Amino acid sequence: MFLLPFLAFVSLSLLTRAAPADETRQKLVALAAAGGGLIKLDSASYDLLTAPNRDWSASIEFTALDTRRRCAPCKLVLSEFNPSWNAVAKAWSKAPKAHRDNHFFATLDFDDGQLVFQKMGLASAPVVYVYPPVEGPRAKARTEPSKYDFSHGFEAEPLAEHLSNHTPIPIPYTKPFDWARWTTAGAGLLAFAVTLRFIAPILQSRWTWAIITIITSLVMTSGYMFTRIRGSPFMGHDGSWIAGGFQNQFGQEVQVIAAVYGTLGFAFIMLTMVIPYQTTSQRQRFQVYLWSTIIMLVYSILIVLFKVKNRGYPFRLLL
Amino acid sequence: MPTAFPLPSDLSPATVTNTASLLRIVALSLISGAAIASRLFAVINFESIIHEFDPWFNYRATRVLASKGFYEFWNWFDPTAWYPLGRVVGGTVYPGLMATSGVIYNFLHALNLPVDIRNICVMLAPGFSALTAWATYMFTKEMKDESAGLLAAAFIGIVPGYISRSVAGSYDNEAIAIFLLMFTFFCWIKALKLGSALFGTLAAVFYFYMVAAWGGYVFITNMIPLHGLVLILMGRFSSRLYVAYSSWYAIGTLSSMQVPFVGFQPVSTSEHMAALGVFGLLQIVAFTQLVRSHVSSKQFQDLLFLALITVGLLGFVGVVGLTYKGVIAPWTGRFYSLWDTGYAKKHIPIIASVSEHQPTAWPSFFMDLQFLIFVFPAGVVLCFHQLRDEHVFVIIYAVMASYFRRRHAVAFSSLLDTYLDAAEPADAAAEESTSETSATNGASGAAATTATSSGSKKAKKGPPPAGTTALTDLVAVKKGDKPKGIFGLDTRLAIVMNAFGMLAFFVFHCTWATSNAYSSPSVVLASTNPDGSQHIIDDFREAYYWLRQNTPETAVVMSWWDYGYQIAGMADRPTLVDNNTWNNTHIATVGKAMSSTEEVAYPILRKHDVDYVLVIFGGLLGYSGDDINKFLWMVRIAQGVWPEEIQEPNYFTPQGEYRIDDHASPTMKNSLMYKMSYYRFAELFGGGPAQDRVRQQQVPKVGPTLDYLDEAYTTENWIVRIYEVRKEDLLGRDLKSANAFAKGKKRKRSKPVSRRRPIV
Repeated sequence: MFLLPFLAFVSLSLLTRAAPADETRQKLVALAAAGGGLIKLDSASYDLLTAPNRDWSASIEFTALDTRRRCAPCKLVLSEFNPSWNAVAKAWSKAPKAHRDNHFFATLDFDDGQLVFQKMGLASAPVVYVYPPVEGPRAKARTEPSKYDFSHGFEAEPLAEHLSNHTPIPIPYTKPFDWARWTTAGAGLLAFAVTLRFIAPILQSRWTWAIITIITSLVMTSGYMFTRIRGSPFMGHDGSWIAGGFQNQFGQEVQVIAAVYGTLGFAFIMLTMVIPYQTTSQRQRFQVYLWSTIIMLVYSILIVLFKVKNRGYPFRLLL
Repeated sequence: MPTAFPLPSDLSPATVTNTASLLRIVALSLISGAAIASRLFAVINFESIIHEFDPWFNYRATRVLASKGFYEFWNWFDPTAWYPLGRVVGGTVYPGLMATSGVIYNFLHALNLPVDIRNICVMLAPGFSALTAWATYMFTKEMKDESAGLLAAAFIGIVPGYISRSVAGSYDNEAIAIFLLMFTFFCWIKALKLGSALFGTLAAVFYFYMVAAWGGYVFITNMIPLHGLVLILMGRFSSRLYVAYSSWYAIGTLSSMQVPFVGFQPVSTSEHMAALGVFGLLQIVAFTQLVRSHVSSKQFQDLLFLALITVGLLGFVGVVGLTYKGVIAPWTGRFYSLWDTGYAKKHIPIIASVSEHQPTAWPSFFMDLQFLIFVFPAGVVLCFHQLRDEHVFVIIYAVMASYFRRRHAVAFSSLLDTYLDAAEPADAAAEESTSETSATNGASGAAATTATSSGSKKAKKGPPPAGTTALTDLVAVKKGDKPKGIFGLDTRLAIVMNAFGMLAFFVFHCTWATSNAYSSPSVVLASTNPDGSQHIIDDFREAYYWLRQNTPETAVVMSWWDYGYQIAGMADRPTLVDNNTWNNTHIATVGKAMSSTEEVAYPILRKHDVDYVLVIFGGLLGYSGDDINKFLWMVRIAQGVWPEEIQEPNYFTPQGEYRIDDHASPTMKNSLMYKMSYYRFAELFGGGPAQDRVRQQQVPKVGPTLDYLDEAYTTENWIVRIYEVRKEDLLGRDLKSANAFAKGKKRKRSKPVSRRRPIV
């Protein structure tokens, strides 16, 4: 008996609150349409978009596009992230209207909404927050915004994939066809086919392949894969070129070590393949001593380098 | 047989040959002895114990095999692994290793030698390393000659890269697989050289053994076809290649399908398609060769050539099409990650998290190979210089090896190759030294300087003196001559000294690396007391035996997957996840429990019947391989399955640092793993600053509290901590308020709660 009026009250209050929400949504839809799927926010419209009674979700990019705010990551934003963001937003604007109006893409520039940046405690850009709906059928237990993790890079694909978890339907994003890449590949193939006649002797020479093989193996054994996968810097911040620690190395070490290995390997080749065929004893003797000395010296240097990496190593040669 | 010095002329050729082969046998047995001996550091420094993680599973399975027989093992369902799922062990292992130990065990017992199965397991790897040395000798002999073979055998015998995988107690698949790999390659080269179906079949049989022993067989599956393909492209197709490849492929594939774990993969997955494709290509090429030899018309030959290309393309398109349609499984994630490690990081964190899959920096290469690593390019050049069919094989191997080298598992097989390559230059260097010697002789007027004239020379110069180390004889043994020479004695001496010095240094290096770096069982840790004596840290076994002695046999233990095999093997308790990482979701469940708050984790623990939770904590001792350092992987793997609930950035400070001190993020501080690791840690320091020696940070003075778990056991050095999961409160309260009540704390109430629902 008591329940009825209570229910009525609840539904009434829902209605009264729902009306402005709908209004806001219309405004937002209009804004999004004007921006080609992307709302350009300022402090006021930010409040609108993240209204506490929203039954839509939103993903907002906090950024600083103005060149006056230049800083290394911001430049990165200009060149890398912002286009990805726009591409994903554009893709979303092609989603069916029924779903499209339940999720909004927006960008807030630092110069348009310093207050918001302060409120959110943001000291760096770019940041992407996803605001889940608070009310309505899609509302979940979690209502505070979640941050997008840039560990997958600034590309559009992982971004779309991640945001699709929060949109009503997956974002219809497809990677744009990479004309430049395919044209280059095609041109390269064509050029190869045309010049094949002239470079065939080179390709058929075993020494071409020997050089390729040796360079590959030198580069790989010098830890090139390590630097590529780990993305280690070319040199240290303090200008040192050799990284301390057994399981660590800088990019420059690859070059040095490859050169050391190459020198030693070359010395061995000289000893085995060239020197025995020398015809005068003086010249031969000189070469034998020369290359033997080189082997000893360079090998000693290598051991010294290794001792830097592995401090417990007990052996040493000349140095 | 060319030698450096002239033999006394009154020796019969038979005597010379016999002496030479006797010397080779002596040298090989010395090498085997050295290979086995250097792997025993682990037993001498520690004890006869199974090492690391995976070997504990192999050991456990072998025990089942030895005690219950092969058929029981074949049908073994292990209900204690992957609780509550269980594991069909017989169908999910490569049984080669266990079967080998089982055969040895039964053989010895048939001879009434009551050897314990554990000792067989511990000694299996050193034993097989001797066989590997022999197989390498055979292989290199095919490449060059006996002298190079001996040198290569010595290298493979003691090189640290191989030792690291085969010390006594390292009872892993690689223990026998490296020998099988080497021997399969030897049979293949032999088959190719002779065009022999017999050796092709032998290669297939050993390939089958390899398939039964190690997942790395895929390397052979792609290596041999690649060799065949390159030979065809180089225009070196021959009936020898046809016979060798066809016999290897047909028999090898059929037999490999007999291993239950492999099953129909050889005809249904992309990894194996290269072998099938080259097989088909060979048939076509052979057919065209046949037709060409019977038909003369130029036009017809051209037509044939075109048809060949078309058929090849069609076949390729067919394979691609079938892959799309799903008949052929596409490359597995593990395979992708082999080529592109970024792939693993993005899609399968569990693969990226395995330390074996981490890239290697150059010091590790140098540590594992020492001077072999730079003689290796020289060896490649020599191979190109000769470039017989078998050299092509070594070259391909070299390229593959150096690319994949970064992955330990494949990499180290590559080492083998390096050895034999390496053998050649070193050999050549020594050769030179000898040819110098012969040149002297020539000068002295005895024999012709041109060493080619075979009749004259002979005598292995000083037969290995007392043969103290295998290497010394090698240097002496291998000598060859070429139509070239060195003038003067001093240069010869210089080179001999140089080469000998390098080999000696290599021996020192290997011994040092083996005894210091590669012999730790990692179940038992060693440190040094202030007085220099060795101190053994035995926390792992302490904890596992505590579990064994103090908990019911059915108690389920949860830990991160690294320790699953050890718990099963040493504590004999059911585990939630173990090192056989086949079920990502189950692992992610454990990761989620570890990285969530107690309140979230508790239902997960209870639903999985977890009685004990085990964590590894190195903060007191500075043991860096502990769970807090692995924690981010748990978070990442859990995030992969529950991106809503677990987010990696939450575990970092706002500045993006990974901290465990006062500045640690709240999510981090409230995670179960953090709480279990640092529970009561600060108390240990009696009010002083509590220092975590791994992270070099100060732990908060007021440590975390636990409401849903009880500390059950902590080992001497705090490396292993075991917690008991509480049962639900008997009064139906949640454990947190029950705890607060027991501590006499008053419950804070913001608003009065309705006491009881009125009964209507």
